[in-house]
Amino acid sequence: MSPKGMLKAIMKNRTGRIGIILLALIVFTAIFAPWLAPFDPYERVAQPFQHPSASHLLGTNDIGQDILSEMIWGTRISLSIGIIAAAIAITLGTAIGILSGYYRRWLDTILMRFVDVVLVIPFLPLMILLAAYLGPQLTNIIIVIGILTWAGPARVIRSQVLSIRELGYVQAARSLGGTDFKIMIRHILPGVMPIALAQFIRAVSTVILIESSLAFLGLGDPTAKSWGTVLYYAQTRGAFLTGAWVWWVLPPGLLITFTVLAFAFTGYTLEEILNPRLRSAGPHHRVFFNSEAVEKNRG
Amino acid sequence: MLRFWGHKLLQYGLVLLITLVINFSLPRLMPGSPLELLAGEDVGRLTTEERQEVMSRHALDQPVHQQFIIYLGQLGQGDLGYSYRQNRPVSTIIWERLPWTLLLTGSALVLSSIIGVIFGTLAAWRRGRFSDVGSMSLFIFLDSMPSFWLGMILVALFGARLRWFPVFGARTPFADYTGWAAVADVLHHLALPLLTLTLVTIAGLFLIIRYSTLETLGEQYITVARAKGLPERLIIFRHVLRNAMLPGITVFMLSLGYVVSGTTVIETVFAWPGLGRLMFEAVIQRDYPVLQATFMVVTVCVIIANFVADLLYPLADPRVRTEGRQ
Repeated sequence: MSPKGMLKAIMKNRTGRIGIILLALIVFTAIFAPWLAPFDPYERVAQPFQHPSASHLLGTNDIGQDILSEMIWGTRISLSIGIIAAAIAITLGTAIGILSGYYRRWLDTILMRFVDVVLVIPFLPLMILLAAYLGPQLTNIIIVIGILTWAGPARVIRSQVLSIRELGYVQAARSLGGTDFKIMIRHILPGVMPIALAQFIRAVSTVILIESSLAFLGLGDPTAKSWGTVLYYAQTRGAFLTGAWVWWVLPPGLLITFTVLAFAFTGYTLEEILNPRLRSAGPHHRVFFNSEAVEKNRG
Repeated sequence: MLRFWGHKLLQYGLVLLITLVINFSLPRLMPGSPLELLAGEDVGRLTTEERQEVMSRHALDQPVHQQFIIYLGQLGQGDLGYSYRQNRPVSTIIWERLPWTLLLTGSALVLSSIIGVIFGTLAAWRRGRFSDVGSMSLFIFLDSMPSFWLGMILVALFGARLRWFPVFGARTPFADYTGWAAVADVLHHLALPLLTLTLVTIAGLFLIIRYSTLETLGEQYITVARAKGLPERLIIFRHVLRNAMLPGITVFMLSLGYVVSGTTVIETVFAWPGLGRLMFEAVIQRDYPVLQATFMVVTVCVIIANFVADLLYPLADPRVRTEGRQ
């Protein structure tokens, strides 16, 4: 399926349409943040703790930075972290899934046992530990999240490889004497790309949630404020105990929630299009559970 | 069966080993002085005796494999290290915190399981109607929220605004309640964090129960039961629920990791004195020994919980008992 065809198919589905429209809004905000934001979110532009006014629609924070500008720039940070970390995770997951599903036998056993092990390790505590030792830099956070979220996708991709490797064209390539490497890159990889894309889109929503948790615990990069970082400062300054929660706590959380939903909706719809078997269980069920419940539960 | 347990023991053994290796190597591999990373304190602030103590405790003058053996030996004796920030052994600190986390996570798991099962079954039964679509949208929405943010909002509304519940801690400070008054006080403090953790953990269970109930409803023996004229309620409870519950148990097991992660941030919001809050405090204070020990204790708890779930699964599904799993 071509990317254009996928987009068309997603737009035909109501859930998918909501997802794509929300995504477009978010990506637009992220790209045009410098033009959309009224102030520099790292500059002190007014008195601290100001209530919303015409010049500062969401008021100002504890050191007089404009909260609305923080939200707009935060879109860029949260989205970049989500996309880059998810890309790392899916690249790793695809590589391991292909190796495991293609070679099977002992390599498959070892890799899948390893996946089982990784899935048991409590996720957030390990990330907190690593982030605390590595220091709160954007790159560190991205790498830590990326290398710890590959396991679920690897399993999904492996099962796809298991069925692709038996298809006629792969068998033909093998009988023509194609090397394993060539078969995996030329024939298996394109076959798993759509599934990998769906996994990637869903991984972005997971990563954004994880990042917000890490940032909330004070492990975010203070020079690259994400929505989670803003919530960290709101928490330490007790904003949720005063009236300020309406403009300081509510907006970042809603933005995270809608971004997560946007990616999740798009991902699910794409997955459903690629795997119509999932549709059999009814119009509303949309397999929101599937591996997602399992994966999210590792949060 | 034997193979299954062999596989499981290997898996949990490896998880434990990886945890130990991570904890052992992080302070030693990171740039900077391992002395500082092991003590969690400025080297300059430590007295000479303390510095000697850190050196000898971790056997820093000996080869690495020797250090690892000594490390394992200390752990084997229940020695989790020493917090130079708090001037107390880490195990004492953890023992103080662990019951609070178990209280919060345990009750949240029970509550979310009950609600998840009830609502999941009802939704499947009423498939496509308003109650189904409505509850599903609600849970998916809750599932997409950052759990700590939901906590903050609940505190803002029910704590700060309405003043129905206390906003932080697990007990009223300086109140010195005894007996039932103390229990009531703790429960009053527990309400909001429990509500938050429950709300964010329901979704996974709800969705899987709903799905497997739908699948079960399509089975032939259900059609037979209907044809016999059994009342709908009896069919749901006697025939459907029993089978639909099975995947629920698996998800319950997998939820454990999530519940633990959830508590870390939720305990932070509510200043609940559990392991999660301890981890946050340790991050802020760079108290590495506490951070490491908490990570390890949490991992051990998750392993134990997984193991219990493995033991329970065959009780729920007789097919597993005879065939052996996988």
